[in-house]
Amino acid sequence: MKKHILSSLLLCLFVVGFSLTTKAQAHAKKKADEQTEAWRYEVEVAGTGVQGTYLVKVWSYSKRPAVAIEQAKKNAVHAIIFKGFPGKTGIAGKPPLTTNVNIEEEKKEFFTDFFSEGGKYMKFVSLTTDGAVAAEDRLRVGKEYKIGVLVSVNVALLRKDLEDAGILKSLNAGF
Amino acid sequence: MILGFTTSVFSQAKKPTIMVVPSDVWCNQNGYMKEFDNQGTKEKVPDYKRAFQENADLIAMISKINGLMADRGFPLKNMESVMKSLASESAEDAMLTSKSGGSGVVESPIDKLRKTAKADIIMQLTFEVLKTGPKKSIRFTLQGIDAYTDKEVATAGGTGNPSFSADPAVMLEEAVIDKIDNFNAGLQRHFDDLFANGREIIVRVKKFEKWNGDLEKEYGGEELGTIIENWMRANTVKGRFSTSESTENMLLFEQVRIPLYDASGNAIDARGFTRNLQKFLTAAPYTIVNKLMTKGLGQAVIVLGDK
Repeated sequence: MKKHILSSLLLCLFVVGFSLTTKAQAHAKKKADEQTEAWRYEVEVAGTGVQGTYLVKVWSYSKRPAVAIEQAKKNAVHAIIFKGFPGKTGIAGKPPLTTNVNIEEEKKEFFTDFFSEGGKYMKFVSLTTDGAVAAEDRLRVGKEYKIGVLVSVNVALLRKDLEDAGILKSLNAGF
Repeated sequence: MILGFTTSVFSQAKKPTIMVVPSDVWCNQNGYMKEFDNQGTKEKVPDYKRAFQENADLIAMISKINGLMADRGFPLKNMESVMKSLASESAEDAMLTSKSGGSGVVESPIDKLRKTAKADIIMQLTFEVLKTGPKKSIRFTLQGIDAYTDKEVATAGGTGNPSFSADPAVMLEEAVIDKIDNFNAGLQRHFDDLFANGREIIVRVKKFEKWNGDLEKEYGGEELGTIIENWMRANTVKGRFSTSESTENMLLFEQVRIPLYDASGNAIDARGFTRNLQKFLTAAPYTIVNKLMTKGLGQAVIVLGDK
């Protein structure tokens, strides 16, 4: 009988623990999304990507390293559309795909959907180093982690998709 | 449906043509220049034909740029092909005679002068393989120049990372891939400006020597030059133009912003815009016979006093 009670208690503790972890993970994800919207991430050029792609290193913040690593993919696409990134010696930086500074507000509905969990943004992330983050790219800043992940984004496809959706104007629009 | 079709047809502005041209500096550095005697003065001009026949790097670079621009929905004119078709057209013209009288094709000296490979926007390309000891790097510059206003509307360039082992051909290709998006961002800004403020053109008004009038001749108490300026003010976008030169014999209007469409929604260019000035001057009370000549989408000359 004692044995039965103990195992039930352990199971109960496991379930509670698991649900708490899941809740905390969801909370961290939500916070990471808010930080993306608040532009709280850093992007630097990492190299010249192959034709039609940009290769960037994205630094994301979270209390949970796994969340920061996953959020880097979203941040990379977000930066390429809205923010652009500076260059460094030998490699040119790139301006954002959109020239309309208010586009994220004007097309809010589209972008909420686009950047949602399992949203279309993942279609354009072609390669990342999420499985092998270098030690020097994993920093502790106060209570948070700041994690740098290399991400390759298929910009040609992303631009085409946004042009087809009427979000971006194509180069030959109006002619 | 007819209305929809009409709108869709008329809503397209005239598309500028773009062509990649190797810069004079590149031609000079690589020995693709030819000398000619310009009335006693030796002058050097680029020998594009030889450059295209002999330099594989140039072909590869131009082809890469053409491909990337085509991907963005903006296929470019290929300079090598344009030069070939001009040569074959000249040969055909020389052989062409009419069926009845055996008369040949007429070509004025100005037609001959203008028979060159041309585009509305020139993408001027300069590239160089730099060497520091065993290291090689690529210096690359791409300048988008409006052929009529001579303004640089887009640019991209820089020096790539030095490498010990990479093949220069691969480095050249990488330079194009790295810089083309920045160039296109500049081009997009230029097009946005064009749609917001109108196309920028240059208009010249000249007079034939034998015409007995000039631009100071008065009509209703106003000089002809001022009348033309008033017409420009009334017909340009927000009255934007600048009179750069004004004498009794000529007027030069620069930074003339013309609308992309006329009152009936048809796309217009420098020719369409200046034809209205031509009609205005031909009509009473001025009744001035005049000749209109245009250069591409952005330059027009009206010569007063004859056809």
